[in-house]
Amino acid sequence: MSDFQGIANRWQQSVPAGMVVMLALWVTFVSFDVKDPQPYLFPRLISVAMLGLSLMAFARALGGRNRTGRGLHSRTLRNIWPGLAVMAVYVFLAAEWLGFYTAGAAAFMAIYTLYDPNPHNTPGIWIKRLLITIGFMSVMYCIFALILRVQTPRGLLV
Amino acid sequence: MEFLNHFGPVFSLSSMAILCAGTVGGLLLGATPGLSPTMAVALLIPFTFHMDPAQGLMLLGAAYTSTVAGGAVSAILLKIPGAPANIATALDGYAMARKGDGAKALQMCFVSSAIGGVIGIMVLIFLTPVLASWALGFGPSHLFWIAILGVTIIGSLDSRSVVKGLLSGCIGLWIATIGYDTIQGVERFVFTDHLEGGVNVIAALIGLFAIPQVIDMLENGRNPQRMSMMDVRRHPVLESIREVFSKVRALVVGSVVGVLIGLIPGAGGQIAGIVAYDQTRKFSPNRDRFGTGESEGVVAAEAANNAMVGPSLVPLLTLSVPGSPTAAVLLGGLLIHGIFPGPDLFTTHAAVAWTFINSMLVGQILMLAFGLYIARLAAHVVRIPAPILAAGILVLAVFGAYSVQHSMGDVFVMCGLGIGMYFLAAFGFSPAPIVLGVILGPIAESNYVQGRIIAGAGDGLFVYFCTGTLNIVLITLCLASVGYSAISELRLRRREAGQAAA
Repeated sequence: MSDFQGIANRWQQSVPAGMVVMLALWVTFVSFDVKDPQPYLFPRLISVAMLGLSLMAFARALGGRNRTGRGLHSRTLRNIWPGLAVMAVYVFLAAEWLGFYTAGAAAFMAIYTLYDPNPHNTPGIWIKRLLITIGFMSVMYCIFALILRVQTPRGLLV
Repeated sequence: MEFLNHFGPVFSLSSMAILCAGTVGGLLLGATPGLSPTMAVALLIPFTFHMDPAQGLMLLGAAYTSTVAGGAVSAILLKIPGAPANIATALDGYAMARKGDGAKALQMCFVSSAIGGVIGIMVLIFLTPVLASWALGFGPSHLFWIAILGVTIIGSLDSRSVVKGLLSGCIGLWIATIGYDTIQGVERFVFTDHLEGGVNVIAALIGLFAIPQVIDMLENGRNPQRMSMMDVRRHPVLESIREVFSKVRALVVGSVVGVLIGLIPGAGGQIAGIVAYDQTRKFSPNRDRFGTGESEGVVAAEAANNAMVGPSLVPLLTLSVPGSPTAAVLLGGLLIHGIFPGPDLFTTHAAVAWTFINSMLVGQILMLAFGLYIARLAAHVVRIPAPILAAGILVLAVFGAYSVQHSMGDVFVMCGLGIGMYFLAAFGFSPAPIVLGVILGPIAESNYVQGRIIAGAGDGLFVYFCTGTLNIVLITLCLASVGYSAISELRLRRREAGQAAA
């Protein structure tokens, strides 16, 4: 998919591997630091396996032997951040505040517009974007509201 | 051969219309990420209220079989499995689609699904009484090891690093423990209100597969050369059928594994597809090509997940024990129509029971016909420009995750897991083991806890979990799957090092 193919370097491998070690340590700590062990019998089993494997992955990353994953490049991050921002606003804010369908349409239109290679100064392009958004959301409304009868949250609008 | 006497009602005009509607509806629902076979069957139950029992069950049966196959459409074209059963299909199916063989992959998928499905239903017809007692022989220790086997296989399969694959599986198993403990009702790892109910499997599936795919599509920004995702070459259907039949090993392994795993209550299609894929890879001379678009992988996975459908109904129809969530919903459908499954089902309600089973057989043929037609439309899906596809998948993912339990918490979890998965994937972690861990975690945990209780009253934990033929076989398979993949990884690294030196 991406034009930026390669292999993550040692530093890029070590940071996430270290974060997974921290997660495994936390899971292990929570699983063993309880008064009643009964509900944590299975999590204890997993946490030990998770800790062992994460330490192995971390050691391999530090040794430069973890040659998997393409890593992250600054250009990739520059390209994805607007999409991530739209996604975060849509999911965590707009969906409930504006209404599910309105927010969905706005998010669809925003991502389509932000990443559409066509020029933004042509009215025809904007009309096409609007029509595609309305068409897509109409299909979503038919499937989820009319056929499946899913009650979606209503905000300021639908 | 009593079943032959009950084919008549299946071919009536109204029954065929219902079967066609159930098959097309199932294929479309299956192809929609988030709408699992269980949900599809549950959604269709109200439509059966006013039908006669046999036709109502036909609708549910057709929807069940076709949603399992329909899930492969999004798995192959978008790398987003429509249902957990299609995770293994995505491994090679998507790689084929990226090479321009999306139509061929879909055609092969539907042909192998139909073959596996027919074999599974023939098993249901002929071997039901024998297999029902065998299926009941599985105790908590066996089910625990089966769940662990599923995680170790996918962990060692879908990753270039066995350590990272297994670690991903463990992360999935941990995610499955979030929420209330089912026995004592104690909160575990709950650091926000949205996690109180735990992590929903479907929300996790959508998030871990769909959201990284959306972000992936946005990676190239507004690059005009990346407007469309990939090309789809036209492929003659007959050639695909011939190719499927040339993959005898994948078909046999897939169907046998699907039948056996389908019989085990609780195991489910997701394990069937993965185990079949793994076994086919191990016996294949082209094992190095698996994961890069090897059609044998698609055939094995799809034959297995559809071969599982018929046998998964064996415990339900003969013992009233639903072997899977979908079977439990089907049980609801049977009860609504006043049919109580059990040993005397085929005597007291013989007409309804046999008509239902026969309709599933006919449903496989319809699924093949409609599926092959859908495969022809694949080119249109993948020619959609990336920004539209990314925006569409995002909105669909949000609606799909929300519709599972009508909970915004599921949407937040879906989105959080998806964004996290994108960054983990950039460093070599894979979503499939995490999802399978989330799915199999509750099975592993409940059987582990039950096993401990039984072991406490017997000879102890080690004896209960690690002795006995079946336990030893399953443990050996777990170790073999990890060992085999570790050796393969070592060989691959040596080969790469040799090539680099040359």
